[in-house]
Amino acid sequence: MEKFLLKNIENPDSADINEYLKAGGYKSLSKALGIEPKDVVEEVKNSGLRGRGGAGFPTAMKWKFAMADPKFPKYLICNADEGEPGTFKDRPILEKNPHLLIEGMLISGYALGSEFGYIYLRGEYPDANDILNGAIKQAYEKNYLGDNILGKGVKFHLSVHQGAGAYICGEETALIESIEGKKGQPRNKPPFPVNVGAWSMPTIVNNVETLSNLPYIIEIGGEAYSKIGSNECPGPKLFSISGHVERPGVYELPMGISLKDIIYNHAGGIKNNAKLKAVIPGGISTPVLPPDSIDCAMDFVSMPKAGSMLGSGAVIVMDDSVCMVKVTHRALKFFEHESCGKCVPCREGTDWLRKILERMESGKGTEGDIELLLDIAGNMSGKTFCPLGDGAAGVVTAMIKHFRDEFEEHIKNKKCSLADSY
Amino acid sequence: MITLTINEKEVTLDKPVSILEAARQAGIKIPTLCYHEALKPYGGCRLCVVEVERMPRLQSACTLMAADGMVVTTESEVISKVRRGILEFLLINHPLDCPYCDKAGECELQDLVNKYGPTVGRYKEEKRKVPESHKDQILARNMERCVVCTRCVRMCNDVQGASAITIIGRGDRSRMEPFSSASFNCEYCGNCLTVCPVGAILSRLYIHSFRPWQVDKEVETICSYCGVGCSLVVQVRDDSIKRVIPEMGLGVNKGLLCSRGRFGYEYINSRERLKTPLVKKNGRLEESTWSEALNLVAEKLSEIKKGEGGSAIAGIASPRCSNEDNYAFQKFMRMVCGSNNIDSVSRTGFAAAQKFFEALLGQGITANIIEGLKNSEVIFVVGGDPTSVNPILGLSIREASRRGAKIIVLGNAKGLDRFKNVQVIPPVFKDVDALEELLAGVSRVKGVRGEKLDIDQGIRALSEKYSEKMSLDGLEELKYALLDSPSTSIVFGMDLVQRANGHRAIFAVAGLTYLLEARLYLLSDRPNEQGLIDVGCVPDMLPGGRPLNIHDFKTKFETAWGGSIPDKDGVTLLEIIEGARNNDIKALYIMGENPVFNLPDGPFIKDALGSLDFLVVQDIFLTETAEIADVVLPALGWSEKSGTYTNLERRIQLQKKAVNASSGMEDWKIISEVSGKMGYKMAYSEVEDIMDEIAEVSPLYRDLSYREIAKGNCLWPYHGEPLRGEIHELPAMAESAGNYGSDFYLALEKPLFHSGTLSRRSQALMKICPEPTLKISGAAAEKLGMQDGDRVKVSTSTGSSEVSVSIDESIKDNRVLLSNNFEGRGVFSLLTYKLDPVTKAPGIEGCEVEIQKG
Ligand SMILES: Cc1cc2nc3c(=O)[nH]c(=O)nc-3n(C[C@H](O)[C@H](O)[C@H](O)COP(=O)(O)O)c2cc1C
Ligand code: SF4
Ligand code: SF4
Ligand code: SF4
Ligand code: SF4
Ligand code: FES
Repeated sequence: MEKFLLKNIENPDSADINEYLKAGGYKSLSKALGIEPKDVVEEVKNSGLRGRGGAGFPTAMKWKFAMADPKFPKYLICNADEGEPGTFKDRPILEKNPHLLIEGMLISGYALGSEFGYIYLRGEYPDANDILNGAIKQAYEKNYLGDNILGKGVKFHLSVHQGAGAYICGEETALIESIEGKKGQPRNKPPFPVNVGAWSMPTIVNNVETLSNLPYIIEIGGEAYSKIGSNECPGPKLFSISGHVERPGVYELPMGISLKDIIYNHAGGIKNNAKLKAVIPGGISTPVLPPDSIDCAMDFVSMPKAGSMLGSGAVIVMDDSVCMVKVTHRALKFFEHESCGKCVPCREGTDWLRKILERMESGKGTEGDIELLLDIAGNMSGKTFCPLGDGAAGVVTAMIKHFRDEFEEHIKNKKCSLADSY
Repeated sequence: MITLTINEKEVTLDKPVSILEAARQAGIKIPTLCYHEALKPYGGCRLCVVEVERMPRLQSACTLMAADGMVVTTESEVISKVRRGILEFLLINHPLDCPYCDKAGECELQDLVNKYGPTVGRYKEEKRKVPESHKDQILARNMERCVVCTRCVRMCNDVQGASAITIIGRGDRSRMEPFSSASFNCEYCGNCLTVCPVGAILSRLYIHSFRPWQVDKEVETICSYCGVGCSLVVQVRDDSIKRVIPEMGLGVNKGLLCSRGRFGYEYINSRERLKTPLVKKNGRLEESTWSEALNLVAEKLSEIKKGEGGSAIAGIASPRCSNEDNYAFQKFMRMVCGSNNIDSVSRTGFAAAQKFFEALLGQGITANIIEGLKNSEVIFVVGGDPTSVNPILGLSIREASRRGAKIIVLGNAKGLDRFKNVQVIPPVFKDVDALEELLAGVSRVKGVRGEKLDIDQGIRALSEKYSEKMSLDGLEELKYALLDSPSTSIVFGMDLVQRANGHRAIFAVAGLTYLLEARLYLLSDRPNEQGLIDVGCVPDMLPGGRPLNIHDFKTKFETAWGGSIPDKDGVTLLEIIEGARNNDIKALYIMGENPVFNLPDGPFIKDALGSLDFLVVQDIFLTETAEIADVVLPALGWSEKSGTYTNLERRIQLQKKAVNASSGMEDWKIISEVSGKMGYKMAYSEVEDIMDEIAEVSPLYRDLSYREIAKGNCLWPYHGEPLRGEIHELPAMAESAGNYGSDFYLALEKPLFHSGTLSRRSQALMKICPEPTLKISGAAAEKLGMQDGDRVKVSTSTGSSEVSVSIDESIKDNRVLLSNNFEGRGVFSLLTYKLDPVTKAPGIEGCEVEIQKG
């Protein structure tokens, strides 16, 4: 498949605006500025583009909500917080193809009538920060950003806001709190950010990859774009593959490709020909799949049917040297650390789950611990304020569902039968 | 109209509310923990979850707005399990030290677990440990007990507006902490304490001293400190006060309090309270008996009246005493001593301003309810910081600001620093001019109203006096803010009354009020400044604001009281003092006041009072003034007696007796005893009898009774018609005086944590603010080469005092501030005054001061 999102990234100077222009960059912007904003939205609607941040929400629909709100200014925020373990798909765009993102934001800003954009960047991406700021500077110099873009009287200003290392700040309302200078904790919804977002103004939050698809949609037209990949979720998708595969990395593949295909063809199969034990298909908060369930189409609609979720498309592959209790413990350590503390079930539940798993791992598990884990997860799931807590509970439930014997073994043998490895 | 179904019951709402409130309206209780009626919904605890048809997840009732056609279930097996689960989560790391925790018995967590919680714990892991914080002297923080509901934080940020605390840390490391290690921003309102559902924030005033269920009496009363008159509940055990708490929704304060109201009551139990009457023998005060002391007072006063005439006697009433006390006092002065020389310390501000405002704009012009501030679009604050003088009123201004009102300030108002939109700080000697200039500017655009010709004329004169170009940066902006406002409130503090030309400031404020049709509020730092005037403790007016010089009124009172009232208006406070110095006044009766300390030029005041033939002081402490008296009579204080108070909105409220005092007598009773001994019987057996009499003679309080007052909402004029004031002629305006030679000028600070001389006997307030500090600006500190905490000697022409300095960034000019609350180190002992010729208030601005490292 022809690459679009990762086009040109082998070029060591791909982040430079001149290279980007040479490769046809900012043409979609000119094209977009030549048509009415509402027609841009129409193209996006026709493309069937769904948000790549994890929830798969139809992008054009979100935009329309924001546009229907009469308040101005409207803010456009690019979510580049990318904090979900296993996920590193936005990083190549940010570091190698920043102008693609900027062009996408410009198209989006023009369509939405937004004149102010922010890129909320994960704090642990210091290189991306430098690169993005350099790219923004270049874009200003070349009049792709500013008060009169390309002499068309269009205004758009863009700046980077660095996060400070909280995973929850990837959640859009916590992100907005953080941009406002407050502690990152989710807000109550409704009102949704499209109506009451940053500084109480209509705000659109879109993922890096979502926004980076826009130039392509404008270039080839919504209709043509909608033919790529699966029917209900069209377009190219970035998959970040890690763990026990021969060729880990970020792959641009059509949406709906089979998980098996990703692992065995694109990523070169399991490392050292070992036996596959488990796959987490969409980042740590998506439920784990056993080997016999990986023949599934990777898109937002099919994955729930297979028992998991597409999430961010971060595939974590584990061979049979991995202890699933340890993985679960490690995951819960993450969730406990990242729980924002706002709601009781997540704040206390993640702590309790982690402590029990830690005890099991160190050979001190007791009869009834598994039921207790399931019950605690049950008391969290669906009762937390935001999806982070659900994710934490889901990890435990899925792990026990598919690998219960390993948990039982830990309790019975008072130790782990596997070597100390992840 | 919204109609929804909750538990199969149809509920109709006339305005949109949350499911939780809709259920409450329908009498359905949903358990909550992070919800609090005074705060914005949060949605953190998840206890209030309910099932809503066609919604996939359980929903938190406190955050979900009710919508038409919703079908809600609040109790089900699923929901019960969730609630049990949540409470179990809350308990796993909770220390469960209820037997030792003060909150037990009134702890929301305890109650919830009792009702909805699990019966056994399944938690076998180690509990989180967080050491209790002993850093703060007033508030104890135990973060092991904290349920992270953020009620305290929301209270402190969104209601109190202090933003002193936050939840630090994340996830299970979350805990409430002050922003800075010291209690830098804390205003010690204790409102966080009110809303904490568990024992995570406790008051050290009563820690471990009683259990909530041991309270054997609760008395609903009002605060004794300022003119807001907040409602509070006094909890008593074994005839001693255990705790003072507010009640949500009750009174003007609606459940909020300030530091003084909540923590300042301990003075009542001070060991320094007067226990027996004292009589001066051989130059020294000695313990005496009531009969000896009272006889002596009656004898001496009769003798002086007989020898020198009633006008040689004067009385100083008290804005800390009740309407009844003050009414009895002025009646005694007029009928028994034959003198209209009655005034109070209120003359230094409130009474002076009130009188002039009413003369200009009519009686009742300042009768506006505090609640109304919240609905103003522009609030103009001038002459003092409302958040320290009248803290609860100050909160309404902050609230208005949050609602989008513009807050514009002339002068300093530190507590509004983060809320104001425009502020202009005029230089020393120039603030009255700035105010006049503003009025001139406003009238230039708006013209005059043509309703009050004298005022119109005065305003025109000002437009001629000032040129179009404003002399200070920002004044123009202030002007337009006022001109553009559809609804304006003016909050006037007494700083600008205490000017040798203070009447000009009052005229300017009156002019603005008139032109802008604004609501006018006067700040009042004592609890009964308004009531005092209403019941006639002023030299020229009888109760009900009836001018003495109108013959009909006088005779009406003479008939009612059965005797004669002297014809001539009496003299005002500082004229009384000066009269004492000149020997025109021979005897002075002071009820509940400490002029030696509370009036400027302390040494002069002391000297003047020292030259009296006879000085009687009735007080609860041996004050600086009582020390030089001939007879000292121990009175009763707040919580020991009942009486009514009229707040700055003119709301008449009951302050109730809660405990029995071991010594002392009600002020009114002492007065009636002396009166009886002097041959005029006051036939009151109960304090209520006095109110009945006031209700009969005063048109303002007509038909008022304790029963009516207890129902609440008795606002002045109660069934009576206020007199319309009329001004016949504007007094001549005095010129602004002053040369600008000095580096620094000393001015009065009105602190949040103290009030008069009472608060220095309150341990808690003394812990919060233990000693006076000289507040100086950052620039001044630099110029003087001084740092926070340096000891300095402050000297003026009157005297000097040693204090430490504290740098206050809100001071932007060359003023340095010192409070007047601490024994021997009050600013008034360093200031001289110059009487305003119109209001007779002492002007104290522009006192040159020298500051040297001590
Ligand atoms: C705990 C949590 C973490 C999230 N982290 C990210 C993130 O790192 N990047 C991202 O784009 N979206 C993240 N999201 C999703 C965002 O809330 C939001 O749905 C997304 O940015 C919308 O963009 P899209 O419509 O383009 O997908 C996260 C959501 C949750 C609940
Ligand atoms: S589930 Fe609750 S505690 Fe966890 S991150 Fe979301 S809001 Fe915070
Ligand atoms: S006492 Fe008042 S100001 Fe201090 S932390 Fe509590 S709420 Fe905030
Ligand atoms: S201290 Fe009290 S009010 Fe504040 S968060 Fe903790 S439990 Fe809630
Ligand atoms: S605002 Fe005034 S009346 Fe209210 S608690 Fe404070 S001092 Fe008392
Ligand atoms: S009361 Fe509704 S979530 Fe706490």
